Amino acid sequence: MSAEILRTVDLTKRFGSFVAVDHVNFSLREGEVAGIVGPNGAGKTTFFNLVTGYHPPDEGRVVYLGQDVTHAPPQHRVGLGLVRTFQLASTFDALSVLDNLVLARFSRLHSGANVRVLLTAPRRRYYDDPRVQEVLERFQLVSQRDRLVRHLSLGEKRRLEIAMAILSEPRVLMLDEPLAGLSEAEIHQVMDVLRSQVGQRSMVVVEHKVSHLLGFVERLVVLHEGRVIAEGRPEECLQDPEVRRSYWRVGAESA
Amino acid sequence: MSRRLRWWAGILIPFGVLAVARWVLPLPFLVEVLIFSVYTMACNFLLGRVGFISFGQPAYLAAGAYGTAFYLYYFGRDPLLGILAGLASGLLFSAVVGLVFVRLRSDYFALVNLALAVIVYHLMQKVLAPITKGDNGLWFLDRMTSTPVLDLTRPDGFVWFAWLVAVAVWALYKALDDTVFGACCLATKTNEDKVKFLGYHDFKIRWTAFVLANTTAALAGSLYGVYFGFVSPEMASAARAADPVVVTILGGTGTLYGPLVGALAYVGMKDLVSGVVGNWEFFVGLLLVVIMLAGERGIWGTLEPWLRRRWAWRRPAPALQE
Repeated sequence: MSAEILRTVDLTKRFGSFVAVDHVNFSLREGEVAGIVGPNGAGKTTFFNLVTGYHPPDEGRVVYLGQDVTHAPPQHRVGLGLVRTFQLASTFDALSVLDNLVLARFSRLHSGANVRVLLTAPRRRYYDDPRVQEVLERFQLVSQRDRLVRHLSLGEKRRLEIAMAILSEPRVLMLDEPLAGLSEAEIHQVMDVLRSQVGQRSMVVVEHKVSHLLGFVERLVVLHEGRVIAEGRPEECLQDPEVRRSYWRVGAESA
Repeated sequence: MSRRLRWWAGILIPFGVLAVARWVLPLPFLVEVLIFSVYTMACNFLLGRVGFISFGQPAYLAAGAYGTAFYLYYFGRDPLLGILAGLASGLLFSAVVGLVFVRLRSDYFALVNLALAVIVYHLMQKVLAPITKGDNGLWFLDRMTSTPVLDLTRPDGFVWFAWLVAVAVWALYKALDDTVFGACCLATKTNEDKVKFLGYHDFKIRWTAFVLANTTAALAGSLYGVYFGFVSPEMASAARAADPVVVTILGGTGTLYGPLVGALAYVGMKDLVSGVVGNWEFFVGLLLVVIMLAGERGIWGTLEPWLRRRWAWRRPAPALQE
């Protein structure tokens, strides 16, 4: 069994009297692909936000690569290879596809780039970067490279966002509902891209619909009302009586 | 044409036209257009590239103007050093103010800047009156010594100096667009979180952009100071706070030539219309309403695609656009 790379200890977040994430203990091994499922409001995204530094937790710790990063700023975590995507495809609308990728690549090449480096580096220099060219092709964005991102479809934006995340060369890639709002064809494209990443990095995928994750993730964590109610191999998890009671019902409705 | 040549042509052609216009247009008009375009360029960068809307630009204009005025009134006589003093005071002022202001966004940023302009006005008019001479202002036209090559104390020397400064400012901001920093600025404008989650220090990026732009505004203030040989608190007047924003939108927010076209239109209307009817501001307002209703692209933003079709201009690389 490979080494542990990410661990949360009693991670808790409250918004007023509402407990969004309730003492969650989660761990991820190097190279592992884990899924986090749960109904709307189960705390999946909040959990992501705590792990990646979007919100500070009220209690608990985040340990990444043996370091306590609970209160580290997001930039620090990204520098260490903990990279996320957002639920609403998060890209730079006013920039071209190529410039979006250049920003991702540049940040990786000059980790924590100081402003002086930013001010003196021409964008153009990175247009022919082999890694940038490679993801353009792999993500089928070559024909869109000079278009402004605001003119792309949702599926294209999603692919772009994942491409940017991969240019960051993360050790842990955290994907927040990468399939939401996509057509069947687009889901296939995105899943192909994600499958190609297996073995190269650890991944955590949050997903609302469990069916998309079967056959992809090795381990499933089921969240309900901020708590982990089941964890283990996907098939086993879904047999769990509590999961069937609290989640499956909701899952069946939205399926 | 080599890429570098073509790059410079983009700046030197419009400013070359303006240089030739020196023999046609009245000198004060040209000087005003040049300085105002530099002042507007700062606002254009903040609004179009970083997404900061500021109704307090006169504060930074005054920071530069008073830096120059204090130097030339109390210490030295060389107008070039005066302008350097203005630049330095603008840099210092915006660097300190920026540490606080840059944390704010959109509407709060706009208002806190307006408040700053009111504070600076009050400081210069009342609180610091013993050294600023209050409403009387500081007069130093006679104190300035002639400078070699271009004599800044004479309008026909000053206009060329202002022209050179404007060309340099344009080259700076155009070059900035070609850097990763330029892309980062536009990225923070639309999606600050993502900038952070790509590993960039978004605060430093915004602060640098803020300091750069407002030092440019201060430079415009210094130029005004040397040109008139006089600085008064009127410079920081909140009544003129919306001017650079108006001219930015008039020209076309986020476009390279917007500030120049906007300044031409604005100063032109001020000079031409005010010669015919009293309230020239009425016509600026009217034009602004028309521009907003016509799609917010401004005069240059509307002209550019048309010109491009006409002459099939080609750009070597996709430029940053608003």
